[in-house]
Amino acid sequence: MAANPAAVMSCGACGPSCRQTLNEGVWTNNPVAVQMLGVCSALAVTSRLENSIVMGMALIFVAAMSNLFVSLLRNATPRRIRMIAEVTIIATFVIVFDQLLKAFYPEMSESLGPYVGLIITNCIIMGRAEAFAMQNPPAISVVDGIANGIGYAAVLILIGAAREVLGSGELLGRTVLSPDWYTGNLVMILAPGAFIALGFLIALANHIKPPQTEASK
Amino acid sequence: MKGDTYTIFYATTLGVVCSLLLAGVSAVCMPYINANREARKGRSILDALGMPVDDKLSARDVLAAFDEHKVAKAEFGGMEIYIYESSGGPLTAVPFQGQGLWGPIKGFIALEPDRTTIRGVTFYEQQETPGLGGEIGTPDFRQRFRGRKIQAGDTSPGIRIIRGGGATGVNEVDAITGATMTCEKVELMINNAIRTILKEGMENGS
Repeated sequence: MAANPAAVMSCGACGPSCRQTLNEGVWTNNPVAVQMLGVCSALAVTSRLENSIVMGMALIFVAAMSNLFVSLLRNATPRRIRMIAEVTIIATFVIVFDQLLKAFYPEMSESLGPYVGLIITNCIIMGRAEAFAMQNPPAISVVDGIANGIGYAAVLILIGAAREVLGSGELLGRTVLSPDWYTGNLVMILAPGAFIALGFLIALANHIKPPQTEASK
Repeated sequence: MKGDTYTIFYATTLGVVCSLLLAGVSAVCMPYINANREARKGRSILDALGMPVDDKLSARDVLAAFDEHKVAKAEFGGMEIYIYESSGGPLTAVPFQGQGLWGPIKGFIALEPDRTTIRGVTFYEQQETPGLGGEIGTPDFRQRFRGRKIQAGDTSPGIRIIRGGGATGVNEVDAITGATMTCEKVELMINNAIRTILKEGMENGS
């Protein structure tokens, strides 16, 4: 694959381990397309591109912040209550984002409904805190959080764009397929459309980069 | 290995720090959230009265539009109603609320100057199933109430939301397919408001 998204993004300040972390989160170990995590919200909020973008931003913010604090506290956290501590930190940042959205972007808050609050239980965030931030220093943990957030956001944006264009002939609320000759396909707006779009996306990702088999790991 | 005392200390400290942070964020956001809630209600009232405002308007602009139209608040049968003096006579917006399928539903029903013809119905709070019960919020469903009467031809009070199409009576509207429960609950809460309107109207001799 020539245009590896992570390679495009990596800069001078980003060392090899950092580049690898970015590459894994965004591409080779993409949380949605490869690990099949966070699928519930990826299906639920992607009926419009704008929703996908805001939800993606929420996840990038929460993943980066929770990874940072989980990592900072990793040596002080008693092992027995580490998961409770992780969830407390995650919940705090999710509620902060939710409150900001309610105050400054109420229409979007209404449109996303309970799914912003449900980021608390999103396996991607919890997974990164437990699998990465608990074992790595703060800086690289933030990179990992951002990378996985971008990986999630990218999937949501692709599905959201496909569903909005096919479903209502619009993109970010602007008409792209003229209603004169294109009739919006309601299926794409409703739940089945999300499954269909996600299925095609995963098939495409697997075609470009064949899935790892147990033997090749 | 760290001891129990340390674990309790750690958990307490983490909890307190996180709650303080949330309390701070909440204090900053609360005035905005309250203004947004007021604006949503105001938008719903103006919409029911037939003077819809742009969705993109900020909370402050919606409340300004509210004042500009000189919509007056009044007490009526224990309800807070809103009256707008149109050129054709006073239009009233009466609140209704009740339990929906998943959570509370709140809205307004606006009446023409004759106080028996429905001018508009809006919902400003509802958590019904998207695509099914949630359709009560769409203009398509709300439009069905326009011009309907709040009592049947024989003056028995209340509207009826009819399943399976074929709403013909002056007080009948077609239900939403797949949203029977929501429609029944909406019918009930609107009729509660209508009963108060009719009862109070008679007592006032108007």
